[in-house]
Amino acid sequence: MEYEFTPELSAKVNLGYDKSDSENVSVLSSNIINIDGVSNVGAGTFNTLERENQLLEATVNYRKEFENSNLDVLVGYAYQDFRNFGFNSAARGFNTTDLNGMGGALTSTVNAAQNAISGSFQQFYYAPNRDDLTVNRLFPNAETTNQDINFARGVQALVFDNFDNTDELQSFFGRINYTLSNKYIFTATMRADGSSRFGPENQYGYFPSGAFAWQIGEEDFIGDGFSTLKLRLSGGITGNQDGLGFGQFVARQRYSQINLGTIQNGVTIDNENGLAIIATDQPDLRWEETTDFNIGIDFGFNNDRLSGSIDFYRRDTQDILLQTPPAAPSTNPFQFGNVDASVINQGVEFALNYDFIQSEDTTFGASFNIAYNENEINDFAGSINLGPVNGPGLTGAFAQRFEAGVPLFSYYMAIFDGFDGDGNPTYVDIDGNGVGDPDADKTFVDEDGLPDITTGLNLNFSHKNWDVNVFLAGQFGFSVYNNTANALFNAGQLNTSRNITVDALNAGENPSASTAVSTRFLESGDFVRLQNASIGYNVPLSGDGTLKSLRLSVTGQNLFLITDYSGIDPEVTVNTGQLNQAALPSRGIDWTSFPNPRTITFGLNATF
Amino acid sequence: MKRRQVKFYVMTLLSVVGLSSCTDLEIEESDSFIDEGFQGLENTASAVNQMYSGVSRLGDQANIYALREVTSDALLIPTRGADWGDNGRWRKLHQHEWGLEEQDIITPFDNWNASQLAASQILDERSGATPGEAADAYFIRAYSMWSILDLFGQVPIRDTQLPTTAIPEVFTGAAAVDLIIADLDAAILGLPAVAAGNTDAMNRGTQAAARFLKAKVLLNRHIYDAQLTGGGGTPAAADMAEVISLVDAIAAEGYALEADYFNIFRNTSDTETIWWTESGVGNRIWNGLHYNLTTPEQAGGWNGFSTLAEYFDMFEGDPNSNLEGSGQEERRGFVPTEGVAAGAEGTVDDDNDGIADGSNIGFGFLLGQQYGPDGTALEDRQGGPLSFSREFVDGDGAPNLINNSEVTGIRVIKYNPRFGGFTNHSIQFRYADALLMKAEAELRSGTGNATATINELRTVRGVAPIGDLDEAELLEERGKELFVEGWRRNDMIRFGQYLRQWEFKGDTETANDTRLLFPIPLPQLLANPNLQQNPGY
Repeated sequence: MEYEFTPELSAKVNLGYDKSDSENVSVLSSNIINIDGVSNVGAGTFNTLERENQLLEATVNYRKEFENSNLDVLVGYAYQDFRNFGFNSAARGFNTTDLNGMGGALTSTVNAAQNAISGSFQQFYYAPNRDDLTVNRLFPNAETTNQDINFARGVQALVFDNFDNTDELQSFFGRINYTLSNKYIFTATMRADGSSRFGPENQYGYFPSGAFAWQIGEEDFIGDGFSTLKLRLSGGITGNQDGLGFGQFVARQRYSQINLGTIQNGVTIDNENGLAIIATDQPDLRWEETTDFNIGIDFGFNNDRLSGSIDFYRRDTQDILLQTPPAAPSTNPFQFGNVDASVINQGVEFALNYDFIQSEDTTFGASFNIAYNENEINDFAGSINLGPVNGPGLTGAFAQRFEAGVPLFSYYMAIFDGFDGDGNPTYVDIDGNGVGDPDADKTFVDEDGLPDITTGLNLNFSHKNWDVNVFLAGQFGFSVYNNTANALFNAGQLNTSRNITVDALNAGENPSASTAVSTRFLESGDFVRLQNASIGYNVPLSGDGTLKSLRLSVTGQNLFLITDYSGIDPEVTVNTGQLNQAALPSRGIDWTSFPNPRTITFGLNATF
Repeated sequence: MKRRQVKFYVMTLLSVVGLSSCTDLEIEESDSFIDEGFQGLENTASAVNQMYSGVSRLGDQANIYALREVTSDALLIPTRGADWGDNGRWRKLHQHEWGLEEQDIITPFDNWNASQLAASQILDERSGATPGEAADAYFIRAYSMWSILDLFGQVPIRDTQLPTTAIPEVFTGAAAVDLIIADLDAAILGLPAVAAGNTDAMNRGTQAAARFLKAKVLLNRHIYDAQLTGGGGTPAAADMAEVISLVDAIAAEGYALEADYFNIFRNTSDTETIWWTESGVGNRIWNGLHYNLTTPEQAGGWNGFSTLAEYFDMFEGDPNSNLEGSGQEERRGFVPTEGVAAGAEGTVDDDNDGIADGSNIGFGFLLGQQYGPDGTALEDRQGGPLSFSREFVDGDGAPNLINNSEVTGIRVIKYNPRFGGFTNHSIQFRYADALLMKAEAELRSGTGNATATINELRTVRGVAPIGDLDEAELLEERGKELFVEGWRRNDMIRFGQYLRQWEFKGDTETANDTRLLFPIPLPQLLANPNLQQNPGY
């Protein structure tokens, strides 16, 4: 909705509503072998999640042109709410091994049980070793009730848990743009962002920013050598509250989570599930803040036939929202807080474009960009392990550590020193006790999972009706932990009748040698990829027929990858799970991840 | 005119926006109760359930169980090829080479302090617990504080009336013991008296369970008093006298020794069980059994946990065989050469092969060749005989804790899969331990007749009475009676044996008294300045 009051003054209102429903049923048949609590029993989960987001944004804009300058003022208000609700349910004990039949039995039993309960409730459960359906209710009073089971039980034991919560955001903001002589551009913004994830004293974060740009190229003293020359300066603060869940700043009570693990010993539920503290009050929780400084120059020569930009930046994130252990005794071993640490990113970005050929029939242009980023954690007392490594005999193993003085996603592990005469691995002795131990001699190995350099090259060529586009991308200065090789490609796996690679077979490793996390499986991830290449032909048409245009094209994605990495693809995005409740993300750990697909697309576009 | 109209529009727009959505950003009680700080529990009966549900973590094979048993001569988990490396967690415990940030040390500190806090929240007057609920909370709080004191020597206590940002006070030594004893006295007063044999009701605190724990604390009091001040200390006569009277009070409720030793470790009624938890026994059964020891219920063990030959050799019997009927004492159990016929009491035959499921899997200590239900000699996964060896050796035949094969080490199994592979019935306190505590109190204080007391047990277990009981014999008796029940570390420390050398303990770790306590987790030292790192770390 937009309304123009006067040519200078206008207002705009945006309303948004977004709803998504998802339902997930997964079942494991009782025929499966060697999974505790599933073999001979069968297990399944049925979860729903509904999200409802509402948005209201209202802005008023005032524009005024003066003789030698422009003024553009905007004030606004925005409100958003995010409601998440649904349930999680899980069951064991199925009468069928047909997977569709199992899913049907589970969903129909969940629906029947829900309908059998009157009044509001948080959760319910039943099992063959209990007579009744147990219902845990929160409102109006916390109480547990038991009722006869008068619905058809398609599964022997069932647990069910409801959730429903809403977060809100509210912002007031303003922006002033002032352009003087089309050469000097001043911008100032101010935001007050409020979030219901923080307590009354800390709900609002105030985030200013300012920018100045100078079209130096327009100045008389520059002359015609430059077609574009612009200096940009900016600085500002932004706030972040992502990752912080609902209601972490207050004390909250609710029946503790029940899930598939609640049903034990086949299909029994022994432990009475009770009311628990699920959040401890943290009244001091506040916005995480990032201060950003940027200085850049845009330039162009010869009517911008050669153009480019260079930017230097520094971003400093403070008051990081992180889960760390509170002083015991505490209800939860990890709790969100604004940790007294900072993460600094600084770097430079450079881009260059050049049109080699600009003729009527033929064009050929190239653009190239390269960025260098440096990252470091500062002022953090303590250390948090992250980057879980998965596989047999690797429970609790990890590859990375969060600590002051090193970059994010820094690898922390033993240094592999080759095999001894018996084919057992040896490691560098770090703690100086004379023995190289893969567990006691872990250290930062000066490698991390974040690329120092990212770069791309784009080539465009066209001639008459033909056009060709090629895009190459590269990343350098990062390492990948080959978890797949650690877990599966070692001689010990032969003992358990698993296949291994020829390399692993010939490495000289003793089949009963232990495998621990070490630099043996850490590799450089540097790569160059032909990300995209396409060739197209526009069929010349008279334009008189029904067919107005016709284009044929072939596009290939990920056509080749140049890398020394021994796994399938060093560009790893798979998450290997959580090592602890700090729940820090990890990066660069390759655990049976799917490689980027190679796709070839044939296209035919026609307009009638 | 025009200007005024504009103003009107803007005002209307802003007020519509304001009315419809300006929010105070307050969250609602849609799926949880919200308070600005702890104000008492909404439902204490339910919170008591939740507290006991937490205690069922005692069935875990890692964490507190690993600290109590794997750090002793009773259990070790060699790395077998790639299996059981697990970031070194198991090896380091047995070798006494644990570092400052082992998950198996950090987790018990978090968990048992959390249980302590859950009990304190029930006991907060604003929660309004009934006297019975409060007695349960006193019992679990005492158990939790005692667990922390025993392992870490420092017990942080949170006053639930203070803001959550308040730094917990830390209690050590005698002051910590006083808190635990006070809670136990309150528990003894408020808990129900449950007669021996009424085993089903013993998954919650009882007077007998609280008395048992109080006897345990008093028996160790002199150790706890000097935990942070260099050790030493002698038991007080009054404490020993109270241990004896507490055990007598337990016996007065009908608790007595059970004739059939392995029957105690079933979920059926017996006269020895004092307290059990609803913890699955699956970890105790399957963590040592080989992959090829299977039942219809469970497709094989996990082939990890094993014991040292020197532990096995404490028992009477042939050191090289534990086959059924080879002259060993009852408590050492036996390896059957085949299963028993279907229909045996307490068993099932789900695969209808005429043989009770899991009855080919033995009791106690599994050494040498293992057999299938039909008497077939089983093989390991490489096709060699599935024959557990006394020694732990690597591929070159040298003693080693890593690079082991699948069959090294004697396996220990107290709960038998023929009675259910995952039954939620883990014994925590039982009368034989109480009787041994009485014998120890008599021995340490020179009162009563410790020899007669211990012979009462030995007679029931079918071993010859001993002449004149000494400390070494008493520790050995405790080792044989209570193996893998979670007492070995506590016993070895009290008898001064925890720092002695045993196979695979690190060369420089013998007599290293740093190892008498576990390190306080580093994040806790940062979070609570009242905690100090334990000596030597």
